[in-house]
Amino acid sequence: MPNKMKSNRAYLLLFLLLIGTFGYAQERSISGKVVSGDDSLGLPGVNISIKGTSNGGSTDMDGNYTVNVKNKNAVLVFSYLGFVTKEVTVGTSNTINVTLQTDADELETVVVVGYGTVKKSDITGSVSSVKSDDLNAFPVLNAEQALQGRAAGVMVQSNNGGEPGAPIKVRVRGGTSINASSDALIVVDGFVGASMPAPEDIASMEILKDASSTAIYGSRAANGVILVTTKKGKTGKSTVELNTSYSSQTVNNTLDMLNADQFAAYRNSFAPGYVQGTANTDWQDEIYRNGGISNTQLSFSGGSDNIKYYVSGNFFDQKGVIINSDLNRFTILSNIDANISDKVSVGLSVAGGSFNKNGILTQTQSGGTGTADVVSSTYRFAPDLGIYNPDGSFVVNSIGDDIDNPYATATQNINETKTNNYRANFFFNWEIISGLDFKTAFGYSADNRQTGKFKPTTLIAGAGVGGEATILDVKSTSIITENYLTYKKDELWKGNLTAMAGYSYQKNTRNEVFAGARGFVTNSVSYRNLGGGSVYLQPQSSLEETELVSVFGRLNYTISDKYLFTFTGRYDGSSNFSKNHKYAFFPSGAFGWNMSKEDFLADSETISNWKWRVSYGATGNPSIPPYGTLARFSEIYSVIGDNITNAVAVTQLANDNLKWETSYQFNLGLDLGFFNNRLSATMDYYNIDTKDLLFQRPLPEYIGLANPFQMQNIGELQNRGFEFSVNGRIFANDNFSWSSSLNYSTNKTKILALPNNEDILIASAPGHFLQSESQILRVGESVGSFYGYIYEGVIQDGQTAPTGGETLPGGQLLADINGRDADGNLTGEPDGKLNSDDKTIIGDPTPDFILGFNNDFKFKNFDANLFFQASVGNDILNYSLLEMGSGDANTTTDMLNYWTPTNTNTDIPAPAIRAKLITSRYVYDGSYLRMKNISIGYSLPKEILDKTFIENIRVYVSGQNLITWTKYPGADPEANYRNDNNERSNTNLGLDYGSYPNVKTFTMGVNFKF
Amino acid sequence: MKKIITLICIAYLAIGCSDLEENPVGLLAPESFFQTTDDLQAAVNGSFAYMASEKYWGRKLSLALLLRGDMADIGDQTTSAYRIDVNNFTMNDDNAMVTNFWPQSYAIIGAANQAIDGAELLSGDQDKINAVAAQAYFARAFAYYNLVRLFGEIPYIDFAVSDISTVESISKSSVDAVYAGIVADLEFAKKWLPDTQPTRSLPSKATAAAYLASVYLTLGEHAKSYTEAKYVITNKGKFNVGLDPDYQNLFNADKVGSSNEPLFTIDFIGQSRDGDLGQDYLASVTGIRGNITFSYGEGWSVAVPSLKVYNDWDGRDYRKAVSLDTVATFKNVGLQPYTVFKNYNGRAVNRPHIAKYYRMIGIAGNNGRESSSNYITMRYAEVLLTAAEALNETTPGSSEAAGYVNEVRTRARLGGGTPSAYPANLASGLNQADLRKAILEERRIELAFEFGRWFDIKRLGIGNEAFGPNGFEPQPNFTASRDYLFPLPADELARNTNLQPNNPGY
Repeated sequence: MPNKMKSNRAYLLLFLLLIGTFGYAQERSISGKVVSGDDSLGLPGVNISIKGTSNGGSTDMDGNYTVNVKNKNAVLVFSYLGFVTKEVTVGTSNTINVTLQTDADELETVVVVGYGTVKKSDITGSVSSVKSDDLNAFPVLNAEQALQGRAAGVMVQSNNGGEPGAPIKVRVRGGTSINASSDALIVVDGFVGASMPAPEDIASMEILKDASSTAIYGSRAANGVILVTTKKGKTGKSTVELNTSYSSQTVNNTLDMLNADQFAAYRNSFAPGYVQGTANTDWQDEIYRNGGISNTQLSFSGGSDNIKYYVSGNFFDQKGVIINSDLNRFTILSNIDANISDKVSVGLSVAGGSFNKNGILTQTQSGGTGTADVVSSTYRFAPDLGIYNPDGSFVVNSIGDDIDNPYATATQNINETKTNNYRANFFFNWEIISGLDFKTAFGYSADNRQTGKFKPTTLIAGAGVGGEATILDVKSTSIITENYLTYKKDELWKGNLTAMAGYSYQKNTRNEVFAGARGFVTNSVSYRNLGGGSVYLQPQSSLEETELVSVFGRLNYTISDKYLFTFTGRYDGSSNFSKNHKYAFFPSGAFGWNMSKEDFLADSETISNWKWRVSYGATGNPSIPPYGTLARFSEIYSVIGDNITNAVAVTQLANDNLKWETSYQFNLGLDLGFFNNRLSATMDYYNIDTKDLLFQRPLPEYIGLANPFQMQNIGELQNRGFEFSVNGRIFANDNFSWSSSLNYSTNKTKILALPNNEDILIASAPGHFLQSESQILRVGESVGSFYGYIYEGVIQDGQTAPTGGETLPGGQLLADINGRDADGNLTGEPDGKLNSDDKTIIGDPTPDFILGFNNDFKFKNFDANLFFQASVGNDILNYSLLEMGSGDANTTTDMLNYWTPTNTNTDIPAPAIRAKLITSRYVYDGSYLRMKNISIGYSLPKEILDKTFIENIRVYVSGQNLITWTKYPGADPEANYRNDNNERSNTNLGLDYGSYPNVKTFTMGVNFKF
Repeated sequence: MKKIITLICIAYLAIGCSDLEENPVGLLAPESFFQTTDDLQAAVNGSFAYMASEKYWGRKLSLALLLRGDMADIGDQTTSAYRIDVNNFTMNDDNAMVTNFWPQSYAIIGAANQAIDGAELLSGDQDKINAVAAQAYFARAFAYYNLVRLFGEIPYIDFAVSDISTVESISKSSVDAVYAGIVADLEFAKKWLPDTQPTRSLPSKATAAAYLASVYLTLGEHAKSYTEAKYVITNKGKFNVGLDPDYQNLFNADKVGSSNEPLFTIDFIGQSRDGDLGQDYLASVTGIRGNITFSYGEGWSVAVPSLKVYNDWDGRDYRKAVSLDTVATFKNVGLQPYTVFKNYNGRAVNRPHIAKYYRMIGIAGNNGRESSSNYITMRYAEVLLTAAEALNETTPGSSEAAGYVNEVRTRARLGGGTPSAYPANLASGLNQADLRKAILEERRIELAFEFGRWFDIKRLGIGNEAFGPNGFEPQPNFTASRDYLFPLPADELARNTNLQPNNPGY
């Protein structure tokens, strides 16, 4: 009904205008339609003025307008918030259709910040926005994945290649911690820590980077904040959107392995007597397949002046490129906002989702007997063996540790994760007096996850124990309430003031239950009948509760749009914090100077925006586990007289002084706009010093704890970087447009202090490598530096090599760089002996810079996108190639160029069974440039659709990861190995072992709008 | 409108107020834990639980002891460098075996200290409390005894630490002081422990006395050593200890639990563990690469005796057959002698392998990890040989001493049901030196691979012979001035610089 009334008013206006024409015969009526350049849909409410007069009009709900002009020289000015204003000289035609392009710099648009919104031109902090279009350029399961390459200072990587449902690692301005989490805080529609909505339901993501913008989230903000805003209904006619796509996926890259004959010859060269098997199996072929994604979203949205709604359902179904790995996800979201009166509005957001993941074993922690993962075993397994023995059982490897063949591991293991989550979020907003608003929000969320695993007797790990089934049930809930007052007062003293203050409370619980059994009569019950086992694993259960109470506030004061001041602070109290430090305060301040508004620039034709921003502030990282500061007795596993018996031991000492980590961040930024902001650029330099690192400090071990560590605030880490992004509307007219954006960021992480400033060695290699160290934390170096021997090539005839290492011609020559004097002190001089003293830093996994480069093209009804993403200067330590070079594995054809007495000009040593030492031989440059997306779309012409009820149809095809430029010899430079806890996700950088392969994707899809 | 506001306020005040105190459910607080002797026993069990860890008797300590001696050498040369370094006397102060069993040793001591201090909090029948606490005294002595023999001077703490600052900067205690503590603990244990326990994985009076005998033997206090050993021998009926008629039973996971020979065992049950606790790998590290004889699969050929150990051992000795495996089954080719093991597996070693921990280990996980073995740390045969050695020092050529050796040999001749004439009794009337030599040789054979050989070599200072060119395991790096002591972990010395300097040569 309201729509009808509005258009009636428009007709009335038209009628009045028509009457006017009788009085002035020379006036004529011009009509037409104003559409958006983005989607060719009509724009309602576009302001149309006739230059030099006070006359004009506006468009109706469908974007149609009619105005009267006096002569053909009249100029119509079409303006609309968020779009570039357009002027058209009338000429002779009575119909003028106009396409408005979105404003490239969107300076007038409103950006979501914590507990409020700010006009982009008023922002003093460093905030990157990523819009819905970019998030949905190609189908992804997790919206965080779509952030890759989209925002400066944001590094995104899958923790497990193209695995369906792989966890995504997001780092905003680097990792700020070593032991604690470096994950950004996710806030969905004001709900802190909510689960990420489907990408299709997200209107925008704001990444808050500097302290000025993040400090409002206080103790949880040190790693940056990602504000997710879901789509809301808009006033206007109801729209139904149906977006559906299908993607076909294949493995991005495989390694060129030896075939059966080559392998047998290779093996015999160092292990004479090897009898070649009868098969010839390409193990990568056996486990890889064509995968695919089918993704469908149906949404309804619309609204009147008083009620707006957005309701959406998504179904995402992915078949992985490795057999037996798949995932499906179903989510719903409903956002309803209502104005109860002029002063009161309420809203309810309800979301729910179900995820079912069928996983396979990848990135094994230790690939010894029966525990190799699917991917690494395709490289290890002898190619002269087949899948099955004559009796139908699975073939076990003939070389090295007893491992199952890749096909068996992939198909026989059961590893299912079923997750359901729900979230309900209610808000109430009351304008108490003009300028003073009170908002309160309540939210509840629950996440129930069950992981069921079964190792059947057809596999080595299950055979010895009669099958093993386990179930882990984790139930997490969160209750949140946020309440705040916002006061706006213009022209207070010399400027405009916005003040906000609030109170918040959040309680999280986590409930865990674990059970398991071994010794089943049959493999057919999987993990669905634990009682059917004959040996029960130790059951476990636990409950954790944490509470956070906070008060927070922000003050914005702008003087004549030129001088911008922002002060924020948050006072957080957390139950996790220790007895003596329950509360923490995090302040920040920022100043912005819109230099382009000064007289000397105000009239510049070229420079349309020149803004300086500077900010400084403190934020926290609260990763103290619940009960982590209390003294604790724990039940421990004990066997007395062949029976499991009650036993306890002190496992933790009281820790009354533990505090959060604090990051002190300085940010200096510059925003530039040229040619009416057709070209805009943003630059930021930042320095983050994270102090009081939450460090598992090694205690004197004689104090008598099994795990003699205590979390203490020691150590300091620095992240320093530069971000640059530029956006340009390179070319635009009614038929063709090209806009482009580039972002470039550097980040250097440097350890400033460690416990006692001593090196900390990290063992990250798979357990069966038997290496006690592979990475190092050292003051002055970046986190996760590779640590091992320097490989100097092959020992040639007559060359001497240090004792303790290989010494025969053809062997690997490792550098002797250090020795000890008679007292056992290191001398820094070679001593002719090779031992652990000769290990040193052999690589740095941190990239010199990362970049994203996006291009959007429009030509008539066609649109196209070309998106590149790159990482440059990062090293990768490839454990897979290391294993292949150590004898008891198949190997790549490259390795055939090994040293022989007649082939001495090579850097590949003669094959042998070698200890899997960490050497620089397996450290590679991991730089790459990747064409992340290429797409082309076509929207059906309006003329055709006008006759139907359909408003818009767009069909498109796209490809992801089609081309990669890299010198990296491993399977994929976006490599990862074991990021499975906070510490490892900080330190395990640039490692490559057993990861699910990355994928190439072809997508075709269609969008309907009704 | 007002109503709504009021409602909201009430609602959020109701859930939004908190004192932020943590009240964990399902976790134990030390202050209030000790109420009954059952609680005390649970705390004592914590100490024993830490012994049955991969970081201690499950592998790290036991394998280090095995490799350090002359009865087991490195087999697979591609194994971890830190194992090779322990074996070849090339270890540094950051050796990963030491950095694992050092803290674990102190975890055992820490748990024992908690129990000993906890006993003070209990009221009731003091004798009953002492009988339980005495187990903790034993556990503490056991761990310190291993430590002091390995490292010499060490930090010695005999109370439960709750405030780190109280011990942050302590110095090492002298070897004498540590031994004084060990002896005092064992004396307490001997006084209060019961004559027998329901299981050999709990110490009895006999256990404490046997360890006292061993400690005194190490200290060269032979008279006291003999007295303690003799105390066990004399009261063997009361203590229900004696030689098991079948030597194999001691290394058979299904039988050892009912044998009366062990005086203390560290128990594992098959396929059951929690992390490192209950996790053993001795089958894996001593078993044969590629061997498919057992359902639990191959071993890793890490600690493998030198050929000389095998060749020198009389083939008629039943104990040789129990101690060593000379054949293995390989895929497709079946049973093969040790001389060709390597033909069928790249990392196998052409030498007989230790069988004591690989052959009869009951239910076990892959590679024989998580076995059902009960590892014996002290048994009656050792008590007999200790008595013999100590007595021969105070009463040279004692026939009583020779008699103890002959008891051990008699049992060996039983041959597990197939009696044999070998080994014959000692010739009578041996002089002190010959008897000493015979007793020591008997210890080497009878207790082969039972983790005590390194301590015997150190105790007697015979490293130069054992690792010399004519020894069982020639090791050119062996340096007597350095290698009788392990290095303390470098990081421990860095955390508390008052522990410096390290042992000579490290």
